[in-house]
Amino acid sequence: MIKNDSALSRVRIPYGAWGSSYFPAWQASPLAEVNIGQFAAEAMARILGKRKVPTSNLDYLVSGSTIPWHWKFWNSPLLSTCLGERTPGYHVEQACATGLQAIAVAASEVQCSCYDAVGVLTFDRTSDSSVGVFPERRTNQRTAVISDVWDNFGFDPATAGSMLVTAGLAARKYKLDRKEIDEITYCRYQQYFAAKDAGFLKRFIVPLEVLNAQGKVVGCLDSDAGVRQVTLESLRSMNEMDTCVTSGAQTHPSDGMATLLVTSVDKAAELSSKPEIEIRLMAKVDVRTSPGLMPEAPTMAVQKLLSQAGLTLNDIAVVKSHNPFSVNDAVFSKIMDYDWIKMNRTGCSLVWGHPQGPTLTRIVIEALEEAVELGGGYVVVMGCAAGDVGIAALFEVA
Amino acid sequence: MEKALRRPSLETLGLGSVLGIFKRGVLPAETSDLVDRVFGAGGDRGCLVISGANGIVGAGKTMQLASRLIPYGITIAALDFPGAPAGLSKQFSGLARSFGKEQAAQIISNVVQFTYDGSHLPKQLAALKPRFLLEAVPEILEIKKSHYQMFHAAFPEIEIRSVTSGFPARELGVGVAHPAFPHEINKVFEVVEPKPSPITQLLWSLGLIPVMVSDDWSFVLDVLFCGVMLASCRYNAATNMPAWKIDKYVRELVGPGPFRAHDAIGAKGANFLTWSCLDHLAQKYGELFTPTKSLVDHKQSGQDWYPPNHLRPMVNWTLDDIEKQEFRTWILGPLFQMTSLLLHEKRSELSQMNAIGEMCAQFRQGVIALARWYGSEKVTRTVEAYHQLHPAAANSPWYPEEFTKMDSAEWQQLYVNAEHDGTVGVITFARESYNQDVDIELNQAIDWLKGEGIERVIVTSDFHLATQLVGADTSDFFPALEDQAKGVALSQKWSQTARRLHDEFATSVGFVNGKRCLGGFLELLQHCHYVVAVESADLGMPEVTLPVVPGMEGCHWMFRKSSPESWPKVLSLLLEGRSVKATTALGWLVDYSGPLTECVRTCWSIARGESALQRRAVNANRLTGVFTEPKGIAPVTGPGLQAARQAILESIRNSCSAPLSEAITIQARHSGAFMSSTACRTGAVGLAFAKTASV
Repeated sequence: MIKNDSALSRVRIPYGAWGSSYFPAWQASPLAEVNIGQFAAEAMARILGKRKVPTSNLDYLVSGSTIPWHWKFWNSPLLSTCLGERTPGYHVEQACATGLQAIAVAASEVQCSCYDAVGVLTFDRTSDSSVGVFPERRTNQRTAVISDVWDNFGFDPATAGSMLVTAGLAARKYKLDRKEIDEITYCRYQQYFAAKDAGFLKRFIVPLEVLNAQGKVVGCLDSDAGVRQVTLESLRSMNEMDTCVTSGAQTHPSDGMATLLVTSVDKAAELSSKPEIEIRLMAKVDVRTSPGLMPEAPTMAVQKLLSQAGLTLNDIAVVKSHNPFSVNDAVFSKIMDYDWIKMNRTGCSLVWGHPQGPTLTRIVIEALEEAVELGGGYVVVMGCAAGDVGIAALFEVA
Repeated sequence: MEKALRRPSLETLGLGSVLGIFKRGVLPAETSDLVDRVFGAGGDRGCLVISGANGIVGAGKTMQLASRLIPYGITIAALDFPGAPAGLSKQFSGLARSFGKEQAAQIISNVVQFTYDGSHLPKQLAALKPRFLLEAVPEILEIKKSHYQMFHAAFPEIEIRSVTSGFPARELGVGVAHPAFPHEINKVFEVVEPKPSPITQLLWSLGLIPVMVSDDWSFVLDVLFCGVMLASCRYNAATNMPAWKIDKYVRELVGPGPFRAHDAIGAKGANFLTWSCLDHLAQKYGELFTPTKSLVDHKQSGQDWYPPNHLRPMVNWTLDDIEKQEFRTWILGPLFQMTSLLLHEKRSELSQMNAIGEMCAQFRQGVIALARWYGSEKVTRTVEAYHQLHPAAANSPWYPEEFTKMDSAEWQQLYVNAEHDGTVGVITFARESYNQDVDIELNQAIDWLKGEGIERVIVTSDFHLATQLVGADTSDFFPALEDQAKGVALSQKWSQTARRLHDEFATSVGFVNGKRCLGGFLELLQHCHYVVAVESADLGMPEVTLPVVPGMEGCHWMFRKSSPESWPKVLSLLLEGRSVKATTALGWLVDYSGPLTECVRTCWSIARGESALQRRAVNANRLTGVFTEPKGIAPVTGPGLQAARQAILESIRNSCSAPLSEAITIQARHSGAFMSSTACRTGAVGLAFAKTASV
């Protein structure tokens, strides 16, 4: 059982010292044409500036992304330069779990008393993804070429299946009903637009103007471009690509960044816009499920997390998932006997897209904002990742 | 009995008043006499030594002084280490652009370069008889002191001035002549001496602008320049806004782009100098001046503030109204607090303190004039608000009472002064371009002279801070680019001021004593009953090239004051934008032109009513018969010029064909309307607006 006074006792997340860009769908914004690493670092400085958090507070920077970007070799130190500091740091990458994994890594850096304030900066650009050329003379092709986003979506080297196939397999395993899947999808859109209309997104998303090389504004990221209202009828009318998987019931690639800080107790009080709010990362777990059953992995991670914490879902105020497929939420609901309406009340990656690296960071921020709005409580965030991996974390907002 | 609205600027150099120049009929000092006093006369003439001559300061000053001293046979000994980068040779192209290759080569040939090891002077130097050392070695006190010892040991009589930007003369043991960037062309030297020496007066006589400042740590320029840099660094530290964007907002607010300036000067040296000045100031005055961590880091790394080309910024930064207010507090708060210190310690005359900011630190409006616009109460509130943001600064000196003296003539007449002897008055401009501050002060100066019962006046530049009169400050046109009514009002107001010189004095004499008089200032002086110009002066109306339409009655006044035979020349002046020499403008722009001394005497005799020169009357009637299509005007290139010519012709046609009483409004309408046109907004004024006022 996780005890409040022992687990990551030195670690806090200062409320408000966070934010993200909107996540425009791939090819739908000027982000399709930028060095996303540099953009993300400059955006982090801008966001923290808006929160009145000088970047000079950062002792360390943990960056995370999954798609190669220009000068990736230089990773966190270069990103730190781009945000105006010369802090050390390093880069983490675990496919779609990156956004949460980076937070955990930052927490461990703080917990071992190395640093008082660690920045977490996650980002990705799925648009115009890079193409890698691999001289591999033992293979039949002798030289392999891979398009970094699409080829990975389509082929898991461990199973030879695609991401999409995992959703179909899971749907069949749990005997999911297409009707319910469409209802979940429709509900998620309703939840997103309700939260948006209520101004929820504006609490943590900062609109960002993008400049060209001449310093002219070429566009403003002021919406999750590409996200449109859907109707239940239209969802029902869509063709299945696999069992319970339609184009409406799966997420779409997008571009974006997200950032937050992980700090010591004292530093959190200093940097938080509401020091009376205390946010703790209690635990994080990973699981790996059977081959090709990725959508069930997050549920298993949550089971393990709650078991270790000595909690049940009844104790949890906010449940939020990275759900590239509606199947993920349906599986969770079925296994955990949890009403899927209670999940993802302020939006989710099924709707606003999936730039991979920053997806779970934005989800954590949204979940913590929601918990604050509810007056505090436990927060569970979960997600799946390539390789049939599930990740989940428990936070406490007091 | 002579009276002055405020102390004449020239007097601070020990050179008397401007009125005195006219009364005596000669300049207060002759260059050849001063050269003799500084370098020795005839066969005993010695040389000028510049040490650190390959550095940015040393190389610039070597060229600037060499070009001016060559007529007097003064050799420049340029001294530096053997391995110093060749800064002097880089100056040649600029010199050739200014003087032509032949003369540039002649100037260079008079510069003798020596190398030394830092502790032993080259033996051959003695043959040149060093009389004056301008020291530009690194900004380290002990190095400077030992440098002086070495020179004093070898040449006991030598006069030494340091170009230091930070060390007081009392620490150095020698006087200070601190020049401003860019060193090859900026004429200003901040001078620290117990009283103005022949060296200082020689600088003035050579057409440079020495300004006396007090003997304190860092001088006026560096308190302002380093101050605005520090304020910008602090804003960066508080908000994360990157340097390039802070520059844009600072430029919009006050004028300079501090980070870009450091990079342009050379980040390594400039960051060190700024840090050095601030560090010394912080030791004496506390946290207000303490360099930020970022400045210390850049001092150590020598890295530019702007990102390299391959990391050009991607994310824009904009400020909402509340953030803008906070930004103003971060920048102006420390600047005003530092200014209170400058005022309290009487670091310089107010007009000169103000001018230093404008001429050397890119302030659109000097910091004193800026404070005056804000008013005492708002200045105090701004500094107090700054102390909320940066509490440690509240422990540094802050003298709000200094801003309560704004009603005094010293505060009120920063740019325009007036003197009189009971009969003749002199109005002098200490600013080379005309702006709304100058306009207000000119009206106050006229009011004062009128109040003193003065009916005869000479209007001219101040023989010190303004060495030429270049026309309107086009940044005052920025509001008119987006609001035609503001342009019309500006033109109307400035024209009304100009008319006072014509209507309210029995005799007024406009005197061009510098190398040029252009645009708005030429229009202004044309309103005087007489215009006198030194023979070398260029006179012109370059408005068409900007393009703008002349708005101080240039489109009709010159026609009304000249004979129809001269009208084609006036048309050419207005439509082509080319300058003419004063000597060729006799009879239609100028009533007398000659050598400076003759001009001074002529002005005085006209003003006293002792000249036989005929006054050219202003025709107040409708003018007819001239305004057909102009002939002999050079063909136009570009749509902007075409539009401007059309607009100027329209203005000429309509304002000339009206009686004088109505013409002022008509020409103001034309001028104002053109400022909001596409041609103006896409021309030089519009581009300047986009660069400085549009963030």
